[in-house]
Amino acid sequence: MPHLIRLENVTIGYEEKGLLQTTDLAIERGQFWGILGPNGSGKSTLLKTILGLISPVEGAIEYEDGAVFGYVPQNESFDQIYPVSVFELVSMGRYSRVPPGKRLTADDRAVIEDSIDKVGIAHLSERTFRSLSGGEKQRSLLARAIAGEPDILVLDEPTAAVDIKGEAQIMSLVKSIKQESGLSVLMVSHFLNTISAFSDHIILIDKDNGFFQAGEKSAILKSESLSAFFGLNLDMERIKEMQAIERLT
Amino acid sequence: MATFAEFINSYFLWRDPMIVGAVTGAVCGFLGVYVALRRIVFVSAALTQISSFGVGLAFYLEAYSLGLFASLFDPFTLSIVLTCIAALFFALKRDFSRVSTEGVIAFGFLLASGAVVIIGDRITKGAHDIANIIFGSAVVVDPIDVIIIPAVALAVFIIHLVFYKDFVFVSFDTDTARLFKYPVRLLNTGLLITIALVVAVATRALGALPVFALLALPALTSLVITENLKLVFIFSIVIGILSAILGYFFSFILSLPTGASMTVCAAIFFLIALGWRELRAG
Repeated sequence: MPHLIRLENVTIGYEEKGLLQTTDLAIERGQFWGILGPNGSGKSTLLKTILGLISPVEGAIEYEDGAVFGYVPQNESFDQIYPVSVFELVSMGRYSRVPPGKRLTADDRAVIEDSIDKVGIAHLSERTFRSLSGGEKQRSLLARAIAGEPDILVLDEPTAAVDIKGEAQIMSLVKSIKQESGLSVLMVSHFLNTISAFSDHIILIDKDNGFFQAGEKSAILKSESLSAFFGLNLDMERIKEMQAIERLT
Repeated sequence: MATFAEFINSYFLWRDPMIVGAVTGAVCGFLGVYVALRRIVFVSAALTQISSFGVGLAFYLEAYSLGLFASLFDPFTLSIVLTCIAALFFALKRDFSRVSTEGVIAFGFLLASGAVVIIGDRITKGAHDIANIIFGSAVVVDPIDVIIIPAVALAVFIIHLVFYKDFVFVSFDTDTARLFKYPVRLLNTGLLITIALVVAVATRALGALPVFALLALPALTSLVITENLKLVFIFSIVIGILSAILGYFFSFILSLPTGASMTVCAAIFFLIALGWRELRAG
């Protein structure tokens, strides 16, 4: 299976100061990768390194030729002073296929409108992005990410600023987009339940403890991995039993 | 105080400065939207002062018989060169060790401002021109400005028409622009260079104060009155033009300093917009 992204001997960090040595990993088409870690664990640094926004301190990252990214950054990364409409915001996602100096074609506009429709915010198209609620903003950013018809959807804490209902809606959207388009997903979260419910591959990261594990969900969500990661004595079999009892009662 | 009829009859006096003022108001109003949105108002203040310094330095070189320099660098050229160098510096230099970017911009602004005053104090010939450059005269303009300023403005508008989506994109979301392999640094530099060019040519004609005001206030006013990005650009152009034209008109009628009059007009538009907004909200 072709690799969309491959990390080899990568150390993440800033300005040549290494924060964490990662293990080699490859993200393939159709996979759903979750990056899990506490606040300040280096999740976003890893994500930005994978995206090429930060250079790795050591090692190399290889990308499949012509791979297109759809990126959902954290909500608060946008300056609220910009009176950008939802349509204008979503249009920017299409710029991955429209080089500088070129304008959007009628076909591009159709894809943008279709992306807005898909996430159910057609009625908000003319509203300014800054005036939307947290959930509506996430939907707009999701529409923007898919407007570029990406090979891989990258989400940085997509459910951080929404309530439980909003989280369920956003994750349901991500799941249906993945199933429909067959794209890969790479998502950062600090919620174990979200990551374990949707991912098939997981990265556990905590730079403060020099902890990094990556692999298939079944291999990562084991008592010893999670105990080492959370610094607790966790028994996954016991947890599953208790969840089953809770469901029955 | 002059009458409106006298103003109309003096058409031959105000035609050129009015053209220069209106064109400057339009192009500064447009570029000012980027200045306001990117929160680099202080950069435009520094650029206008550095442009003034360029003009002052040329007068100084000429006054002290440095004929070689004077022939090589006339005020116009020196102003453009220094302003563009400063713009390049602000666009390309990101790491200033322990000094914040704002601190470095403030340093550039204050150094250029102080140097202009010192140069003005050292030379007699041209001292009046330097005062005009700092505070703005625009009562009369050099005939060549009637050609140069519209030509520069036209070139800037064409560049911004072609790269409109790209300038907005890199200003709003640098990370995604970089992810999409957009030449972010080149676009940022291009944007600042267009601002520097306009500042350099307009400061010599109108003065630093009104050029700074026209870069800052019409855009801030437009951001107050509309929620539509394209309309922000259009309103800012219109308010820039109106500020320049009304400023010149009132300076003629009331015998006010022209640059200051344009500045106050732009400020009044801003106050009206704030008031209107408050009324609507209340």
